[in-house]
Amino acid sequence: MTFDLVLSGSDLLLLAPEIFLTVWLCVVLAIDFSIKNLDHENIAYLSVGGVIATLLNLLWFDYLGVTGTLFHDMFVLDRLAIFFKIFVLLSTVLVILSSIDYVKSFRFFRGEYYFLVMMSALGMMFMASAHDLLSVFVTLEFSTFGFYVLVAYLRDDVKSNEAGLKFFILGVFAAGLLAYGVSLVYGETGTLVFSEMAHTPGSYGLAIGFLMIFAALGFKIGAVPFHSWIPDTYHGAPTPVTAFLSIAPKGAAMAILIRMFYVALAAFKPTWVLLFVVASILSMTYGNIVAIAQKNIKRLLAYSGIAQIGNVLIGLAAGTKRGSDAILFYLLTYLFANLGAFAVVIGVGNLIKSDEIEDYNGLNRRSPFLAAAMLIFLLSLAGVPPLAGFIGKLYIFVAAIDQELYTLLAVGLINIIISMYYYLVVVKKMYINEPVDPSPIRVSIPIKTVIYVGLAGTLILGIYPRPFIEWVVAATLMFSNVTDMVAAALPHGSGG
Amino acid sequence: MTVPLWYYLVLSGLIFLIGLVGVLVRRNIIIILLSIELMLNATNINFVAFSSYLGNLAGQVFVFFALTVAAAEVAVGLAIIIALYRHRSSINVDEFRLLKW
Repeated sequence: MTFDLVLSGSDLLLLAPEIFLTVWLCVVLAIDFSIKNLDHENIAYLSVGGVIATLLNLLWFDYLGVTGTLFHDMFVLDRLAIFFKIFVLLSTVLVILSSIDYVKSFRFFRGEYYFLVMMSALGMMFMASAHDLLSVFVTLEFSTFGFYVLVAYLRDDVKSNEAGLKFFILGVFAAGLLAYGVSLVYGETGTLVFSEMAHTPGSYGLAIGFLMIFAALGFKIGAVPFHSWIPDTYHGAPTPVTAFLSIAPKGAAMAILIRMFYVALAAFKPTWVLLFVVASILSMTYGNIVAIAQKNIKRLLAYSGIAQIGNVLIGLAAGTKRGSDAILFYLLTYLFANLGAFAVVIGVGNLIKSDEIEDYNGLNRRSPFLAAAMLIFLLSLAGVPPLAGFIGKLYIFVAAIDQELYTLLAVGLINIIISMYYYLVVVKKMYINEPVDPSPIRVSIPIKTVIYVGLAGTLILGIYPRPFIEWVVAATLMFSNVTDMVAAALPHGSGG
Repeated sequence: MTVPLWYYLVLSGLIFLIGLVGVLVRRNIIIILLSIELMLNATNINFVAFSSYLGNLAGQVFVFFALTVAAAEVAVGLAIIIALYRHRSSINVDEFRLLKW
């Protein structure tokens, strides 16, 4: 048996964004090492420039409609992959911008911080293209290694180290589960490529294998019951890293989940739908109820993130083309609202050195801009019209109604009301309570930029979502026959 | 006489379970790290066994990547453990309760 690897220039073109970013991040690291006394802000802007150039490259690919596969179907560039790569890079740009002030408080290794952020982003770009269980394993670990270091980055802070340790142990444990699951699936199907698995008969080995893979990806997206690392890691990690961790890996892991369940396991849809229904109900309910008791804003956003992932999983529970559209759109609305809220937390935290919700008392007096921005982001996360979160939730619920998942719909609606409570508690503290220290809070230009981008995204997606909906519908066009595949697998059944 | 496939599967299943229980039960971080290595190596036995049984090389390729990933994992993990040890002079997970576990 032989393996032949033929690569032509036009094949490598499909990898152009990744190759460019790889070269760029090596250059950034080399510059950081070789030029003494270079201000880390310059490194940050250099990194932002490279990531934006990659982003533009991908937008151009999307416009041209460049698609293709590489390395025996291990790497696929289609519109879904392009969407998630743009998603990851957009969050990377916003995270790097909101890090600049925070990095000033590091005593060493300021330049390497940006290198590691871009390295993780590169790993997640490959995750979006993974079309094979080997590339799923390698890219997942690739992106997580950067995060292990980033979470424990504050070397002198015990909290950060402890968060890093917890994240590391549970992350590697998940990797062990993933690898073992992949080995079982390989034994049952004899292949690692998703599209070649599509026609294998069901068996216990396959079921156990995919359950293990689902558990490992569940760790990544932080769905209940695999969420135990989320609150501690979010709390202890440097705040910009928390912001990055709360959005980009979830998006990239969602890309793998969608691809795996829609392509490799389309025939078993009636079985896995149940899995997602349960995970979704547990995540929404647990996340929202525990969030009420939180005293720290990072922990509050962590639990709210668990609940938001519960909402996203409704789309997978629907298991239709519209379900996947809704997931993509929802993630986009979550990106802007969540990163915006974190930018406010970073801006406030840099000045008052605290993330306790008590310290947000009277934020409106100290900085009306930050308070108003936080209000809009929290309302969008809660799903209040006319903001982005409302359209996202609506879209997800419509996908659920299509599939007559009324229990899920009812749980989702009750959870919106619960979430409204703890978001509004923060709003009340900002607007009604008196500040202990009324000195004004100054916001730096990079953080202001992130907040403006977040506000623009939240408002535009809410008021004029049409072009974005067209974009996500086009990105998942290849799943338009997913229901037919289920029907073909169940000739007598009531599939779907 | 060749060893049948299921011998390998039972062996790897047992090693995987030992690793799993070790992660959940032991309190020393180094032992936890070793248990995770056991889990990853059980995977490798599985892959090699399936690969030779199916006459398909993809499984053996996976083993190389799994070994590399495991090595990188240990490097990062030990670095984090050393950083923690400098603060606490302990590698017992029960000591790390600053954040609600």
